[in-house]
Amino acid sequence: MTINISNTQNPQGIISSVSIGSISPEDVLDLLGKGGIEYYITVEGDLMFKYWQIYENFVPKEQAAILRTGQPVPEQVDRLEWLSNNLDNIRRDHSGHWIAILNNEVVASAVTLPDLLTQIAKYDNPFITFIPVESVVWDFTFAYGIQKF
Amino acid sequence: LLMVSKNFEQTIPFREIRDSSGNPIFDVNGNPIWLPLVTVTIIAPIGSRISLSLYFDTGASVTTLRSEFYPLLGLRSWNEGVRRQTSTGSDTIDVYQYTISMEVFGKTIECPIYLNNRMPAHPFFSGLLGRETIYKEFGFGFWEKIHELYVTPNP
Repeated sequence: MTINISNTQNPQGIISSVSIGSISPEDVLDLLGKGGIEYYITVEGDLMFKYWQIYENFVPKEQAAILRTGQPVPEQVDRLEWLSNNLDNIRRDHSGHWIAILNNEVVASAVTLPDLLTQIAKYDNPFITFIPVESVVWDFTFAYGIQKF
Repeated sequence: LLMVSKNFEQTIPFREIRDSSGNPIFDVNGNPIWLPLVTVTIIAPIGSRISLSLYFDTGASVTTLRSEFYPLLGLRSWNEGVRRQTSTGSDTIDVYQYTISMEVFGKTIECPIYLNNRMPAHPFFSGLLGRETIYKEFGFGFWEKIHELYVTPNP
């Protein structure tokens, strides 16, 4: 049995070897394991694996920063980005309040959530959150296995 | 052999947490903190849509909101649902279960949700996005090194 060494780096190449009967399924799994490729065999006998195709050093880091800047940012990310960038001002003006953000602007603020919901009834899909008075404590042991920082 | 490729249609970048001076905040191991935060849209019983940020938590069995969000679900109090018990890091607490309509990763789903009165407030997220229903509706990939979460609505 001869296996092209490049196949050990390419899961699809390995699987192709099985399709022509050149190596056994056990050998395929062994190769996947040696290649650090995670796999799973379903009860139906399907082989599932995942891998990434990476072109390392595609561009220098400086150019990557430029290219990433030009990438469209999903709206949901954009809202958090705006909140993050403006958190100091928001905490100064709205500590202890519920706020609603729409189009990069705080469009409503209230002490209680029902009051906020009344104020924002005219808007479609605003982003809401609560701005605590106290400083954020980065300790996430409150529930369900979130790691403690 | 028939080989099927699974593609992830959406990329959710993690959020790096910084202090008020713009400097990264570090964990106990000295690594910057990156959070997998997902914005979901809750469809209130009256039909209005409200967006929230949730922490994508693979350790959470059920999606969970802080108890203060009960008005958003059209409830009169946070603890009028089905009482459940759940384990926290060091304790077992009562939470209350409801079912909500939620838009997430481009799909509208019916999803169980817990209200929890022991969860502290945080400006960047209002609760946890848990496994129940979510894992059946979507496929996920993590790439921790570059701080991205990948999602497909066609697992």
